[in-house]
Amino acid sequence: MDAIKELLYKIADDQLILGHRNSEWTGFGPLLEEDIAFSSMAQDKVGQSYALYQILQQLGEQAPDTVAFMRNANQFHNCILVELPNGEYDFSLIRHFLFDTAEALRFEMLAQSSFQPLAELARKIKGELLYHTLHANTFIKKLGTATEESITRLQQSLEFTLPYALGIFEESPFEGELIDKGIFEGEKVLKEKWILKVEAVIQQTNLHLPDWHIVTPVTGGRNGQHTEHLQPLLDEMSEVFRIDPAAEW
Amino acid sequence: MKSLDPRVNRLPVVGTAGNIIPKAALDQFGTFEVFVQPKEGKPFQHEGAVHAPDLEMAYVLAKETFTRRFTCTSLYVTDTRDVHISPTTEGSQNVYTLIEEPVTQNNTKSSFEIYHLLKRGKQHQHIGTVEASTPEEAMFIAKQQFNNDKMVYNVWAIRTSTIRFTTPEEKDLWNTLPEKKFRDASDYKGGDKLKLFLERQS
Repeated sequence: MDAIKELLYKIADDQLILGHRNSEWTGFGPLLEEDIAFSSMAQDKVGQSYALYQILQQLGEQAPDTVAFMRNANQFHNCILVELPNGEYDFSLIRHFLFDTAEALRFEMLAQSSFQPLAELARKIKGELLYHTLHANTFIKKLGTATEESITRLQQSLEFTLPYALGIFEESPFEGELIDKGIFEGEKVLKEKWILKVEAVIQQTNLHLPDWHIVTPVTGGRNGQHTEHLQPLLDEMSEVFRIDPAAEW
Repeated sequence: MKSLDPRVNRLPVVGTAGNIIPKAALDQFGTFEVFVQPKEGKPFQHEGAVHAPDLEMAYVLAKETFTRRFTCTSLYVTDTRDVHISPTTEGSQNVYTLIEEPVTQNNTKSSFEIYHLLKRGKQHQHIGTVEASTPEEAMFIAKQQFNNDKMVYNVWAIRTSTIRFTTPEEKDLWNTLPEKKFRDASDYKGGDKLKLFLERQS
């Protein structure tokens, strides 16, 4: 059970934190249509985290709101990638592309999970994840072949973000158990599939990937070791909830 | 590096005497028309336009701009310049009375999607598909096939090959949409909550 809980927490925390980060673009997007699209996808991510926290509640954990809003940074299992501040839009697009490619593959694998609630959720949100990757791939292909400025910006962001992206696949102490029980095929398999997908899209652009062997993953997030950026995010996200945790919305 | 900021790029370049040139086009996105099928079996209807640099980006942006609430089963987009429009009529004049057989026709036929405007101020609705060599011929064939007792005020014809359709795999895109009640303001029942609050206050 600890293995399943750990798996659920890390996926849910990734979605919640990145959903919140991406929602910070609402009202500031580069064009109206993209502002709406990026905000909608952020909302999808928060919704997916909610669904996962609900499964956790059925396994005996606290209610979704409590879990989302009352924990401190060191109790979160998200990877460092999703907590980094937004900066420029090129970074947010690259993060969206690298993260959502992994997330779509993860749920594709989980659709076959022996843990039924997770398999059902994975099948249900397939369409949402399809849109997220369609959006990401289309933007990366377009801007990755457009102008000197767009290509340079994406290339710089890609190089900055890759070490953090590899942190998505930081292994848990339960990898063996999850694999043996048919719950999840494991981070190693996911990472191999992810590299192939990322390469397939980047090859259609003027961007280039460095040799994977020289990229050092930034890890620690899965164990609650976070950057200084996570706690301020949590403080802001939970500010209203903490005023009156019993309020009905 | 050339800036992407339009305010920078539109600044006039300092020139020399006697150098008179045509004004350059603005570097802006084009527009694409968006059509939505709200339910399986219902006709596609025109919903509006999005700005985008190309057809595929238009599809991606149209999806959330026009189908983020309520229900949707399919969506498609086409470049605004690929929509051919008839004259518009009003009152008791059917637009098809203004559509006559075109004189010259070549023999290479292609498929056209035909749309009717049945009420001024409403949306154009898909009515059917015809094979024709030109948009004019497509509308003339539509007159023979789709002009029944309903009053039609405007006709659109779009070459099928210029449309970015939803693929069968992409039908999943709207699977969870009916559950997204949080996007529906009325679902928060703000009025009821306010009423309860006021009752508690008094």
